[in-house]
Amino acid sequence: MIRLEGVSLAAGAFQLTDVSLDVPRGGYALVIGPTGSGKTSLLEAIAGHLAPVAGRILLEGRDVTSLPPEARGVGVVYQSYHLFPHLSVRQNIAYGLRNSVPARPRVEELAAMLGITPLLERSIRGLSGGEQQRVALARALAPRPTVLLLDEPFSAVDPALRRVLRRELQQIREREGVTTLHVTHDVDDALRLGDLVAVLGDGRIAQAGPPDEVFRYPGSAFVADFLGAGTVLRGEIIRTGEPDGLHQRFPARFEAGGLHLEVVADREGSAHAVIRPEDLLVSREPFHDNPRNRLPATVRRVERLGPVANVHLDASGQRLVAAITAATADTLALRPGDAVSIAIKATAVHLI
Amino acid sequence: MGVSRPSVGFGLLGAFLGALLVLFIIGPILRLLLASEPATLVAAAGDPEIRAAIVLTILTASAATALALLLGAPLGYLLARHRFPGRGLLRGLLDLPVVIPHPVAGIALLLFLGRHSPVGGALAAMGLEVVSQVPGIVAAMLFVSAPLVVSGAREAFAAVDPKLERVARTLGDTRWQAFRRITLPLSARGILTGALLGWGRSVSEFGAIVILTYHPKVASVLIFDRFTLAGLPGAVPAATLLLLVALAVFLLLRILEPREDPSR
Repeated sequence: MIRLEGVSLAAGAFQLTDVSLDVPRGGYALVIGPTGSGKTSLLEAIAGHLAPVAGRILLEGRDVTSLPPEARGVGVVYQSYHLFPHLSVRQNIAYGLRNSVPARPRVEELAAMLGITPLLERSIRGLSGGEQQRVALARALAPRPTVLLLDEPFSAVDPALRRVLRRELQQIREREGVTTLHVTHDVDDALRLGDLVAVLGDGRIAQAGPPDEVFRYPGSAFVADFLGAGTVLRGEIIRTGEPDGLHQRFPARFEAGGLHLEVVADREGSAHAVIRPEDLLVSREPFHDNPRNRLPATVRRVERLGPVANVHLDASGQRLVAAITAATADTLALRPGDAVSIAIKATAVHLI
Repeated sequence: MGVSRPSVGFGLLGAFLGALLVLFIIGPILRLLLASEPATLVAAAGDPEIRAAIVLTILTASAATALALLLGAPLGYLLARHRFPGRGLLRGLLDLPVVIPHPVAGIALLLFLGRHSPVGGALAAMGLEVVSQVPGIVAAMLFVSAPLVVSGAREAFAAVDPKLERVARTLGDTRWQAFRRITLPLSARGILTGALLGWGRSVSEFGAIVILTYHPKVASVLIFDRFTLAGLPGAVPAATLLLLVALAVFLLLRILEPREDPSR
């Protein structure tokens, strides 16, 4: 279990203020944020290399705020692995094993789990990126830490290997049952790995929750933008009807420049609207179903991303993004400058 | 291959200029080594005064190097790892002995460590006579060689990524254990190289030593002595012997050093 209670950090010019986070025992939390958002400092604070200016850090219910790193029982895997260059693979993995743990069986167990048994007697020079990553993970896990901290562990490997390593990491983590906190700027990591996501921005936690929820309902324009949640529009909410009794939500119009959308709102005034690419429908023919916003738009460009394609559109001077399948993209054969119709449900416009 | 031709010409020019310099360094050394008949060298090696001077030189240079390491390696670590006010100034100060003419350094040391100075007086009161004694030789050698030892250690420590120590800490090491198990093994070679340069610098020192402690004579002082008294024939055999000893020690240490730097 990792619990951060109102942790504030200051390192050089940057600050992180009032960070609170709870990762249950055995849980996997992703802290995600742009470069310079303080992700790594947060990790260093949990590891004990950076003292918080305020707040408490608890690991497995124990307040470790004032304990040195060696007394905290954390394992760390850094971005560039930082294997000890003067030691063999075996010596690296066994480094943290004291007399309490018989070193040899533990090293061999982990090496077998990670498929690096043939490397054990090798020097760490000449290991590939993936091999170094596995050795670093084995070294961090060997002393059976209560908490595993990962700092951008996949950023130095190519995408194919990244997928393999993600899968391995999940398996070994589950077997070891270790509570994990993983900092990354990679939205993909967050979607695939964590059961809790915390987005850092502007020196604080902008939003935290289960990945699905954070991606589906970003709480701020920053989060939506950073997660690449689709179109983020800035505008005004104007009430057009009476609230329903149950949720106090009312029909309204969202105005962003010349673009007007029917929405369901719970407040009025200035706001951001987030529209997920898959909620925006694109057609060459006008739409006729009633509950949708139907708008004319112009294609700006089509961006193919394997099985899907992102269609970048211009509607009444606002830029929107729609996701369509590759097959649909072939059928529609859209070209820049083409006039199309777009449609979106009032309830799919997420107001923040 | 037209593209690479200008760079070949450039490389040849560099090689030619460099070769001139290498010849200029090797030439005099070879000339000196070949200047004496082997019989003369053997005779010189049997000369008790020359033997005593060479032994004294090696012992005092080793003592100065050990002192420089003991006092200077921790300083190198501080300079490499910590930012503190006056750090730049301190680095500049440590380089000062390199630019001071050595007789000037000798005079400064004489004023600082002489019997009538506060420091020299205090040392004399504790029974440590410096000027005109063996400790004076060590002091002069320490003064001129310490910058090399400190900067060697500083660079060696700076080359070890501090994150390696952090990893070691999370794996259960105390600060001291992480230093001993990670930082020291990875920087040992660089520290030794600095110490070796410092040792060589100490063996070669003349100007500061001759002012602080003329007698007992280290090898450089003895050679100068013989040169003024008996000219080249008197100085060459002793000079050749000192050169051979210095070369032998350097060669031995180069052989003992690990071939490959494990941190690379």
